Amino acid sequence: MIPAKKVLNTLNEHWGVLELLFKRFKMTDFSLKDVQNVIKHKNPQWTSERIFKETNRLLNQEIIIPLAKSSQLEINRAIADFASFLLQEEDLGLAEEITVLVKDLERLGTRLQQAGDEGDFSELRRFSRIMDERVRKIVKLFQHNESAIFNLVEQAKSDSSNLSLQKRYKAVIEAFDEYIEPMLEMVDIRGDFHACFAVIEQQISNQIESIELFGRGANDKRMLEQLRTRILDMHLIGRESLRKSADMLMPLREELRRNTLITRQAAKVLGLIRKRGVDRMLTPVQPDFVSDIQRFSLGQQRHMVAYMASLAQFEHEDYQLPDHTDVPAYQSPNIPDYNDVRTSFTKQFTGKGNQRHALLGFLSEHYPSLDADEMLFLYQKLISDGHFELQQDTQRSKVTICDHTFALYPFNASKVQETPNDTN
Amino acid sequence: MTQINLSELSELQAINKKLVSGYHISEQDTTLWQQLDQHIEAYQALFNALGHDLQHDARGFYYLASDESTPNMGKISRAIALTVFILIEHYANQGKDPLKALFDEIADLELMQTLVQLNKHLFDQLEIFSGSDLRKDVYLRMVRLGLAKEVEQGFMHLAPIYRYIDALMEVNEDSFDELEEEV
Repeated sequence: MIPAKKVLNTLNEHWGVLELLFKRFKMTDFSLKDVQNVIKHKNPQWTSERIFKETNRLLNQEIIIPLAKSSQLEINRAIADFASFLLQEEDLGLAEEITVLVKDLERLGTRLQQAGDEGDFSELRRFSRIMDERVRKIVKLFQHNESAIFNLVEQAKSDSSNLSLQKRYKAVIEAFDEYIEPMLEMVDIRGDFHACFAVIEQQISNQIESIELFGRGANDKRMLEQLRTRILDMHLIGRESLRKSADMLMPLREELRRNTLITRQAAKVLGLIRKRGVDRMLTPVQPDFVSDIQRFSLGQQRHMVAYMASLAQFEHEDYQLPDHTDVPAYQSPNIPDYNDVRTSFTKQFTGKGNQRHALLGFLSEHYPSLDADEMLFLYQKLISDGHFELQQDTQRSKVTICDHTFALYPFNASKVQETPNDTN
Repeated sequence: MTQINLSELSELQAINKKLVSGYHISEQDTTLWQQLDQHIEAYQALFNALGHDLQHDARGFYYLASDESTPNMGKISRAIALTVFILIEHYANQGKDPLKALFDEIADLELMQTLVQLNKHLFDQLEIFSGSDLRKDVYLRMVRLGLAKEVEQGFMHLAPIYRYIDALMEVNEDSFDELEEEV
């Protein structure tokens, strides 16, 4: 028997070597030379004599053991399990494994019931202990599988572009088909698993009740209660763990499914395009773009605002009604009403024969307060009024109205027709 | 009725200019994208009133939807569609994850040449005869439409490419049959 402490010391000292061996060879065998190389790699300054000694130490302490009838070596299974636990390098177990354990639990439950009914307390205790162990084992398996799935997902996600798609996802699909799905079925509320636990729970509860009733074996009661709690807890842990695993795997599975779908679709469509021609095949499906920049362009903000004005409830931000004080007071033009002017003009000039009267003279006489432009406005109106007979002077004359001087051929009120000259 | 406050829509002019030219605003156009992201309702109401259909795709881009293309745009779109489909097939043939490769890998001139060589009779129909034709006629236009961006060694595809993937998935057995009947 090798003292445990000694083995632990060696493990501690050579952990790096063991880790490397474990990772490199997984569960397969390796030669003595491999071990020496690894030790050399980890401790490059060691002499070959030292390396030889250390290798022998590993062998002597049965950390590394020879395979039967072979010069090859392997890591002691117990050590390998320990290492895999420490490194979380776990391989996915089978759903079957858990199923078998649960079935066994069911069988033990019946035996426990039997022992209880017969009042055989040592048997009762024994079965209770075995069941307890089984439950622990199942919980361990759940946890183990969960971390195995985690590793698997990590591996599938890590970008190793040289790996083909199929290979990358193979493990994921396998995990799903071989572990998650059967397990989910099992844990399902109407599944075997659930029914089995209900039975076991009932059996244990009965036992506890009968102990309470007869007052025998008070110590056993506590043990049974613990077992019952553990079984319920196990059920919960199992469901949680499966849900977590499924959650981790699901996106990858979806991704794979989608990718396969897209790839297949692309191949199919391209095949059709090859057969039928690009334009025929793609015209109905291609995405369309808004393209005609001329037609749609709005360009400037005032265009925008104009568009907006037609929209319901549009209010331009800057728009304000003018204030009273802002507006200059309205001044109506001084021009007297044309009809009044006309009447007074008619009164003055009708029936005066050929006498010539300067139109402007008349205006400035009657309306001395008018501005030059207003005066000219009236003058213009009178000239173009067909009612009067007016004639134009042949000579240009200068007229001064309100400090403005004009040169013009003035019109005069007269009945005599003269050939009109050019007006300026 | 959505409130449209023009003073908040500070990038309206730039956004309008881009969108009406068919450009897809994706997350790489940070300023415009953020504007749209913040005031999407106002923009949608505004563009709607102007007779456009501003679409927000949850995969991270905005565009004006249209149900018809001018003949020229239609041809460009077909060329892009063909290129995207062929790329998917190409990546899948190489054992890559096609979607991932589509968005992660750079399309360089070498790849374009390979694509054109391998699918010569398809590209011939679109008058694309070489890798540089593909670059000029398809990729530069994709850049103009916001479907790709130019990087040092080539082009990177952007999220709006999903419109083509959607279009690809839309081709189903039914439409095959319809086409069959037409023949």
